[in-house]
Amino acid sequence: MVLKRFSFLSSVTGVVVLMAAIPLFFVVYSSFQLSSERWYGLWDTRLPDLMGNTLWLALIVALGCFILGVSSAWLIARRTFAGRTLAIWLMVLPLAIPTYVFAYIYTSMLADDGWLGKLWVTLFGSGVGIPDIYTGWGAGFILSLAGFSYVFLLVRTSLTGASLSMEEAARLHGATPLEVFMRVQLPLLRPALAAGLAVVTLHVLSDFGAVSMLQYQTFTLSIYMQMEGRLDNQGAAGLSLVLVMLSLTFLVLERFFRSRQRYFSNSRSRRFQPRRATGGELVMIWCWLGLIALFAFILPLVWVLHWSWQAWSADLIGSEFWGYTYNSLMLGVIAASATVVVGLPVALYHSRVRSWLSACYLHLSSIGFVLPGPVVALGVITFVLAQLPLLYGGLVVLLMALMVRFMPLAVQSQEAAMQQLTPSIEQAGRVLGAGPLENLWRVTLPMIRGGVITAWVLVFIDVIKELPATLILRPIGYDTLPVRIWIEASEEMLELAAPAALMLIVGTLPALWIMMRAEGRR
Amino acid sequence: MKLANKLGSGLLALLMAMPVVHAAEDELVVYSGRSDKFVKPVIKAFTEATGIKVVLHSAKSTALLNKLRVEGERTEADLYLSNDAGNLQLGSEMGLFLPLPVKVTDVIDARLRAPDNSWVGLSARARVLVANTASDSGFVESVFDLADPRLKDKIAVTHSGNGSFIAGVTVYMLAEGSDKTRSWLKGVKENSGGKTFNKHSKVVKAVASGKKAVGLVNHYYIYRHLDAHPDAPIRVIVPDQGEGGMGVAWNVAGIAVSKYSKKSETAVRFVEFLVSEKGQKQFAEVNREYPARKGVAAVSVIPPADSIRAATVAMAELGKHRNATIDLLEAVGMP
Repeated sequence: MVLKRFSFLSSVTGVVVLMAAIPLFFVVYSSFQLSSERWYGLWDTRLPDLMGNTLWLALIVALGCFILGVSSAWLIARRTFAGRTLAIWLMVLPLAIPTYVFAYIYTSMLADDGWLGKLWVTLFGSGVGIPDIYTGWGAGFILSLAGFSYVFLLVRTSLTGASLSMEEAARLHGATPLEVFMRVQLPLLRPALAAGLAVVTLHVLSDFGAVSMLQYQTFTLSIYMQMEGRLDNQGAAGLSLVLVMLSLTFLVLERFFRSRQRYFSNSRSRRFQPRRATGGELVMIWCWLGLIALFAFILPLVWVLHWSWQAWSADLIGSEFWGYTYNSLMLGVIAASATVVVGLPVALYHSRVRSWLSACYLHLSSIGFVLPGPVVALGVITFVLAQLPLLYGGLVVLLMALMVRFMPLAVQSQEAAMQQLTPSIEQAGRVLGAGPLENLWRVTLPMIRGGVITAWVLVFIDVIKELPATLILRPIGYDTLPVRIWIEASEEMLELAAPAALMLIVGTLPALWIMMRAEGRR
Repeated sequence: MKLANKLGSGLLALLMAMPVVHAAEDELVVYSGRSDKFVKPVIKAFTEATGIKVVLHSAKSTALLNKLRVEGERTEADLYLSNDAGNLQLGSEMGLFLPLPVKVTDVIDARLRAPDNSWVGLSARARVLVANTASDSGFVESVFDLADPRLKDKIAVTHSGNGSFIAGVTVYMLAEGSDKTRSWLKGVKENSGGKTFNKHSKVVKAVASGKKAVGLVNHYYIYRHLDAHPDAPIRVIVPDQGEGGMGVAWNVAGIAVSKYSKKSETAVRFVEFLVSEKGQKQFAEVNREYPARKGVAAVSVIPPADSIRAATVAMAELGKHRNATIDLLEAVGMP
C-alpha cells in the first residue's frame, strides 16, 4: 500500500522533473553538436575571463549580502526599538525592485547630471571622478542591494528561533560579546546563512538584468551575446553547460557543508527575549539600517516617484499602461500558483523518500534556476515546437518556462515546511480511513500552509520581475511591466520606464505583506 | 481545507478569465526591433487608411530573428521589422522571408534592399562623428582619425556589442580591409581608455559636456540631443568625404514578410504602404532618418542625402560579414 502510494508520487514527480530538465536536455544536446575546435575556440577566447568575472561577482555579492543581511537581522532580532516593524519592512522591500531597475536607476543617478553625480561634484569637486559603476564592484553593489533581503529573512528567522542556553553558557565562561557572536551565534546561523547565500549566489549566476545594463561580462551576458549577436545557439548552449556545471558544483558543496552542520535544541530551552535598545544604540541602529534602506529602497523609490510624477503631469500614462499592469499581475498569479502546485510532488517525494533517485530529482528540478532566462526560453520553445506543437502560441509556453525557471523556490520552501511535519500525524489520518489524496488535502496541506504561502510569494515576486524569458516567450502583443521597462529604458525614456517600475513595486507589496504576516505567525 | 479549496477554485476562475491572446483573422503581427514610438504613428496611419489592424510585438531585433528561426512554420509573425540591415540579410539567408513583388521594391534604392527582394530598406541612417566645438578636433575628417594619438582619452564610442557599432565596423572592414580596420580598432581601444558607453545618447552627452572631444554615433542621436539642449557646443562631422575617402557608412531599418505568414497578401499591402511617399515620409521623419525611397526628401535639419557620399558597401553585405566583424572585435579585445 505504502509502496504503491510512493510509486504514484514517484511517477508524478518524475514527470515534473522531466519538464524541469527540458532546458538541460536542450543544452546538453546542443553542446554535443559543438565541434572540438569550437569548444577550443570558446575556451581560448572567453572561458577563463568569464569564469573569473562570474566567480568574482558571486564573491562580492555573497560578501555584500552577508554584511548587509546579517547585521540588519542581528540588530532587529536582538533589540526592540522604536520603529522596529518599519525597519523589518525596509529590509524586505528591496525585493520588489528588479536588478535591471536597480542598475538603470543607479546608472542614471551616478551620471554627471544625475542626483548622486551632482551631489558628488558638490561634495568633492569635479577633480575627483564619480565612482564608476560599470565594473565588477558596481555590479556587486547593485546585486547586493537587490539580494541581501533573502539573507536577512532567513537569518532573522533563525536568530529569533535560537535558544539562549548556548550563548549564556559562553557568557558564563567569560566570552566577550564579539566572541559569542563569532564562536556561538555565527556557527548556529550557518544553515540559514548557507541557504540565504545560496539563493543570492544562484540569482547572481543567472542574473541578466544588472550585468547587461552595466556591461559586466559574466556567463549570462556572454551566453546572451552568443545567442543574439551571432545567432549561435550551439555556442550559447556550450557556455551554458559550463555555467550549469559551475552552479551544480556550488550546490553540491553547499548541501555537503549544510549536512555536516546540524544543531538541535530541545523545545523547552528558553527562547531569546530581545533587549530594549538604549538611547545610544537606538541612534546607531537607525543610522546603519537607515543607510541600508536609503540605498536599497528609499533612494530608488524617490527616483521612481519623481519620474513617474513627470510622466503623470505630462499626461504620458495612457490606458495601455493599466493593461500592462494587469498582464503582469495576472501572469504572476497564474505562474506562481502553477509552480507551487507542480513543485508540491517534488517536495513531498524528497521529504518522504531518501534515495539517490529523490536526490537526483531534487537537483534536476533546480536546473531552471541556474540557467540564464534566454536559454530556458530557447530550450522550452524548441521542445514544445518539436514535441507538442499544438500547445504553441498563447500563454502555455511562457508559463512552462517560468515554472521551470522558478520551481526550485517552490520546492525548497514547501520541502522545508514538510520536514517539520511529524509523520505520525499523517499516519493518524491514514488510520482514520483517509485515502492518500484526501490525506494530502485535509492533513498535509493545511499543516504546511505557511511553507506553501512562502513558496507562492517567492515565485510570484520573481515571476513579475522576470525579463529575458518573458521578452522572448510572451504571447503576441502581451506586454508586461518588465517588458515595457525594457522597451522604454532601451530608448532612454526615463519618464516612461519609471511608472512601470513603480507599478511593479506596488504590485509586489500585497505579496510581501502576505509573506510577512505568515512569518509573524510562525 | 477551506483555504485549499479557495485557492483551487480561485486559480480555476483566473485561468478561465485569462484573455486569449491570439491575433484575429484580419490582424497583422509585426515582430519589431525598432522603437515602438517610431513605428506606432505609421501603423496608426495604415490602420486609418485600410482598416487593417496591426499588432506590434517589440523586442530586440536579433532576439526576434532567432525566435522567427526557431518557430519556423509555426510563427504567428507576418512581418519582421529591424533597425539593422544585417539582421534582415541573415534572415533572408536562413530562408525566413517571402520575396516581395518587384513593383513594391523598385522604388527603393537598389543598395538599400536585398538583391533577391526578400527585404526592403525603409529608412537610412549615417554613421557620423560628433565633435565638441571647443576641442582641438579640427583635423578630424575621417572615422579612421579616431585612432589618432592626438585624441588619446578624448573619444567616445559605444561598447562593441552595439548593433550599430558592429554594422559600422563591418562597412569599414569591407571598404578598407581587415588589416587597416584591426589596427584602427586597436587605436580606438587605446584612445577610449578601455572605457565605452552603453548608449549613443551618452556618447553625445559626453562630447557636449566637454568630457570627450569626438564621438561616433548615428546621426539622429545628435539632433535628439540638440532638441533638449539647442545651444550644446557640438557639431556634426560627416566623415570620409574627401577625395579617395570611403564615404559614410550607412545602415537601414527595413522590413520583410515572413515566409510562413498566412496573410502574406495583406502583409505586402503594409509594406506597400510603408514604401509609398506618404509612408516613407512618416516612417523616416519621426526619427529624422533618410527615407529609402528615391525622391522623398528627409527633414531639413539634417544634411540632405545628395550632399553626402556614402560608402559603396551594399546593405546585404552587413549580414554576410557580421560574424567576421565580431571575430575581429573579439580578437582585438574591444570592450
